[in-house]
Amino acid sequence: MDDREPAAVRAGKTDRGTRMASLVTAARQGNDDAMGEIVTELTPLLWHVARAVGLSPGDAEDVLQTVWMRLLSHLDDIHDSAALSGWLAVTTRREAWRVHAKERAQVPADEELFAALPDQAPGSEEQVIVDEQHRVLWAAVGQLSRRCQELLRMVAFAPRPDYAAVAAKLGMPVGSIGPTRGRCLAKLRALLAHDPEWSPR
Amino acid sequence: MTPPDPGNQISADEPLDDLDLELLDAIRDMFQAADPMPADLPQRIRFSLTLRGLEIEVARLTAEDDRPVLAARGTEQSRTITFDSDSLTIMIRIDVNRDGTARVDGWLAPPQRREIEMKTGVDELTAASDEQGRFAFASVPRGTAQLVVRPGEQGLSGSGPSVVTPALIL
Repeated sequence: MDDREPAAVRAGKTDRGTRMASLVTAARQGNDDAMGEIVTELTPLLWHVARAVGLSPGDAEDVLQTVWMRLLSHLDDIHDSAALSGWLAVTTRREAWRVHAKERAQVPADEELFAALPDQAPGSEEQVIVDEQHRVLWAAVGQLSRRCQELLRMVAFAPRPDYAAVAAKLGMPVGSIGPTRGRCLAKLRALLAHDPEWSPR
Repeated sequence: MTPPDPGNQISADEPLDDLDLELLDAIRDMFQAADPMPADLPQRIRFSLTLRGLEIEVARLTAEDDRPVLAARGTEQSRTITFDSDSLTIMIRIDVNRDGTARVDGWLAPPQRREIEMKTGVDELTAASDEQGRFAFASVPRGTAQLVVRPGEQGLSGSGPSVVTPALIL
């Protein structure tokens, strides 16, 4: 066991890993309830992967349906929770890219990802960002490159024990001893460190 | 927790620490609030996944065209949807009947005779396409539905694996 791994990542890794692995085994044997539990657990991650790429809600839903159906024929190759989360995340992103590239000609560019930013849409989302620290953080995230915004949104929804696998699959480098911070989180922390309004609890 | 030290460069190569995890949690919470996943989405996906044991080919939705038309209860949508799989293109037109159910007219390309199932939340309807690849479901309950084109049998003009579409809302 790696001592440098944060407690929050280490905790529950075994329990959840065991539970997910047995759900995958049961699903492979045709257990619909097990498959349903996997769907319930991982669909939020995939929703935000598809939306981060810039798909409309309707297109995101179509992509997710396709990806989950394709998983059925890949279950034999997947044996643990990390592999499952990683495969689903990267397959969703690839499929979302494919759909988005086709739609781009028809939809005005860039109306999607950070359209919900308070700065750009004053009022509409203000109630949502109730917490002052969240507002400061939201603004900092908005200053990151588009690629970093997408990546952070995606990996933020990865189940923590699968974080390294999902991050690696999506192209964030992972150290040999476990998940590293990566360029995007480092940049975000540098921005926050220079923001007088930011005070980590 | 160690607050970030402005004097030091924050390294991208260090392991995630508690502050990183807290930031990720906060980012997740913000996107959850700003762009929540539709609450019933996992349920709709589960609906489309109960097809175990079939050799299936997944058809992707490739085109959708909504057109308002005048119908008995005011303006209704007539929708045309196209799905593509490796072996088959499925095109359907959905209209609303006077009794509120949906009428689905479909075409298979290349044209062929196949058995076609419409899974709905209520039951499963079946139809068969003719030699021109045409099929119709005259009255389908509104709600979630999914098309399954059954494998072609010997003696019929079509052949090939089952083709399933994503679940759609009629």
